[in-house]
Amino acid sequence: MSIFTEKVGMTRRQFLKGSGMLAVAVIVTGVFAKIGFDAFAASDEYIDQRIAGLYTLDEQMAIRKSHENPEIIQIYQDFLSPGEQKYLSEKAHHLLHTKYGKDIPAFIEELNQHRDVA
Amino acid sequence: MSEEVIKGKVLKHDTQTRTMHWLHLLAFIILGLTGIGFYWDIAGIANIFGGPANASLVHRWAGVVFTVGPILYILLNFDRFSRFVDTITSFSRDDFAWLKTMGGYVPFIKIEEVPPQEKYNAGQKILGILIIIGCILIIITGFPMWLWCDVVSSAFLAICYNVHFWTAIIMILLVLGHFFLAAIHPKSRVEFASMMLDGYIDAEITAEHNAKWFAELQKTE
Repeated sequence: MSIFTEKVGMTRRQFLKGSGMLAVAVIVTGVFAKIGFDAFAASDEYIDQRIAGLYTLDEQMAIRKSHENPEIIQIYQDFLSPGEQKYLSEKAHHLLHTKYGKDIPAFIEELNQHRDVA
Repeated sequence: MSEEVIKGKVLKHDTQTRTMHWLHLLAFIILGLTGIGFYWDIAGIANIFGGPANASLVHRWAGVVFTVGPILYILLNFDRFSRFVDTITSFSRDDFAWLKTMGGYVPFIKIEEVPPQEKYNAGQKILGILIIIGCILIIITGFPMWLWCDVVSSAFLAICYNVHFWTAIIMILLVLGHFFLAAIHPKSRVEFASMMLDGYIDAEITAEHNAKWFAELQKTE
């Protein structure tokens, strides 16, 4: 039985067409890749600038630690823990701690119960 | 017409071509299925792959196979790829005559004789060109949606999503048509075994369907 097979190799015309098709695919992909990589680089640059901006703002602040803030010290001395600076006082805990939930009236009731706790 | 019986077999698709075709087909089915599941939010499809998150992962890595498979094939078989590209981009009068008669596939177009064709008929040539363009579009829009979704502009991403979706829809329809003609239509279903199994097809069928190509094969014998 005869077996017919194709001739291997390629002609110059076939080579040029194959290369052309490949080149077009590479160029189109390259253009898209460039858009992506440029956007990635721009994003990285933005993040770097944002980080630098935040650090600069922080360094320029007169008071950089909340426990050294005279107003915070005073509110503890006068109200949250009278006569001392007790940062985790029961009153501070109940007034400053954030609670999440749907039962808002219950939270208000709980706050009112601790209004007079020193 | 000659009544001569042509005996023998033609090796139409070699092992590497068939392997690449199988690989691309499987990747395409997974991609199409998961993609349809994402777009229309069909939980049943996502659940086949272990939920939406896993389906998304499968879609992305099937996309890698869909991309790397043909690239490897082209690099390792550049001569075959070049011959294929040359064939599908060369249109002669016989191809246009074939298109006018739709190759005799459409029942209400009556024809006496189908014009002689090369290794691929005019319809297959157009399909080949559309598949290549479709693959390039779907690949170059797919990866930005995965890798650069946080950095590219939303307008660019929207273009990617739209092009990706519509190209996929067209590709799915093309592949369904391709499957019907290559595996179901009585006139051409002999092609199925050639690409999906051993690569061989009867010489007599080739002499009838791909007369120009068969004449070339006979010359090289």
